[in-house]
Amino acid sequence: MTLREFLSDRLGRIALWLVCIALAALFLFAAGTQPGVLALLMLALFLVFVTVQAADFLRQRARLLELEAILEGLDRKYLFAECVPPPKSLYERRLFDLTRRAGRAMAGAVSDAQAQQRKYREYVEQWVHEIKAPITAARLICRDLDGETRRKLTAELAQIEAHIERALFYARAENPEQDCLLRQIDMGKVAAQAIENHRSLLIQSGVQVVTEELDCTVYTDEKWAVFILGQLLQNAARYRGTAPVIILSTKPLGKQTQLIVHDNGIGIPAHELPRVFDRGFTGSNGRNRGGSTGMGLYLCKKLAGFLELGLEIASEEGKGTTVTLTFPTKENLTKL
Amino acid sequence: MQKIMVIEDDTAIQEELALLLENEGYTPLVVTNFTDILGQAVLERPDLILLDIGLPGRDGFSLCAALRKAVSAPIIFVTSRDAGVDEVRALSLGGDDYITKPYSVPVLLARIKAVLRRSSGEPEPADTLEAGGLRLSLTKGVVSANGKTAELTRNELQILACLMAHTGQIVSRADLIDALWDNQIYIDDNTLSVNMTRLRGKLAEIGLPDAIKTRRGMGYQL
Repeated sequence: MTLREFLSDRLGRIALWLVCIALAALFLFAAGTQPGVLALLMLALFLVFVTVQAADFLRQRARLLELEAILEGLDRKYLFAECVPPPKSLYERRLFDLTRRAGRAMAGAVSDAQAQQRKYREYVEQWVHEIKAPITAARLICRDLDGETRRKLTAELAQIEAHIERALFYARAENPEQDCLLRQIDMGKVAAQAIENHRSLLIQSGVQVVTEELDCTVYTDEKWAVFILGQLLQNAARYRGTAPVIILSTKPLGKQTQLIVHDNGIGIPAHELPRVFDRGFTGSNGRNRGGSTGMGLYLCKKLAGFLELGLEIASEEGKGTTVTLTFPTKENLTKL
Repeated sequence: MQKIMVIEDDTAIQEELALLLENEGYTPLVVTNFTDILGQAVLERPDLILLDIGLPGRDGFSLCAALRKAVSAPIIFVTSRDAGVDEVRALSLGGDDYITKPYSVPVLLARIKAVLRRSSGEPEPADTLEAGGLRLSLTKGVVSANGKTAELTRNELQILACLMAHTGQIVSRADLIDALWDNQIYIDDNTLSVNMTRLRGKLAEIGLPDAIKTRRGMGYQL
């Protein structure tokens, strides 16, 4: 609150006071009061008025600053009214009471919504685990089929699994600290696991996967890293060109390690590149080929943020796409 | 024959898993009564236990701890729970391996084989394969016949090993690619053709130019 704001807020009061003073002075002057006495009286009145206004201004400003600081320090700001010392004046007290009641209604609604969301998340996770039993059974049953049918069905089952996995990680990304386990893991193992998870898609797409210099270790969560790499592999296989090749390699960057996933696929148009990590963004490639959810890279970015992984993408249309994952060093991890 | 106890409450998986294990030459032992698993385990003395976590009545973690005390068989957790903490917990409670559903069948079988080998102290599988007059040393990557030898690359070695393991049978190109992927060689169809040509060239050098026959439209045969 500035002095100017304060004055403009009290403009009416000041004007009324000036008018009253003027009338009083006129009356006293007409009644024959000496001009010297009158001037002294006016000065005294003016000083009293200014002092009162100044005191008001300072008190209000201090109170506002105090409230501001309380709000600033609050984690859940809607609980503000609960944390503030009750005001002294009756009118303010009543106002605060109203705010507090509104705040309580809000807090109730928020905790209801949170409980509902938690239950939903729990259900999704439970559902994901339950759906895995019939998929496992289906995979085992597939074994009895002859070669071509088995391969096709296995590929379809793998697709279902990929969709389910995304749903699971979407639910998990809301409360990542619950199942994130950062530790030293072997890059080669992560790559092998991700490739294994998507082997039907990769083999069916006729992709040649080249792995180079993966014998190093990084600090991250293995499952999440496998998921992120899996999304990148799926994209590379889905948006492949002729004679598709995916190259996985690592490169040191200072003390950090970079995992580079390069493909020679159809690439991403330059103007779409900044939006590929947006939720639900499918782009022209996704629309032309179909089957794109716009969730894969969005989830990658979200999980990468929690793992403190750098995630960058570069692409040239018709030439291919390169995604670079920069793993943090142990010292740089804040959540270990 | 090695006995494998299957503790799993999904009946479809029970049946198929039992069938699979039987075909692979194990004796499956499917638990259908979940009230006294411990007693059954002590009575049957399995060589290996496949254990699910989400079971009726008692969860797999506490069961694993109890089984550990009662029997010496190694335990492989097979579960749909894939959070990292579950895996750590399972292994710290004495599980020997942890496989998440849905697993691919070859992976499951490979893990079972590995755990059984470890627990029984059996030596690693033979280093050399012999078939059709060929002798293949897996660790040295050398094939020999008629007193002559040729060195093979990693890819050629795996292709030949796969064909020799199925001597007389037709192995399709897709099966060959599958087998190579199992050994972390991720090649496509064209690369397979190139490697096959090179392998035949090397076999010709040691006097067996026609060892690998092409069965048109079906695959290869040794």
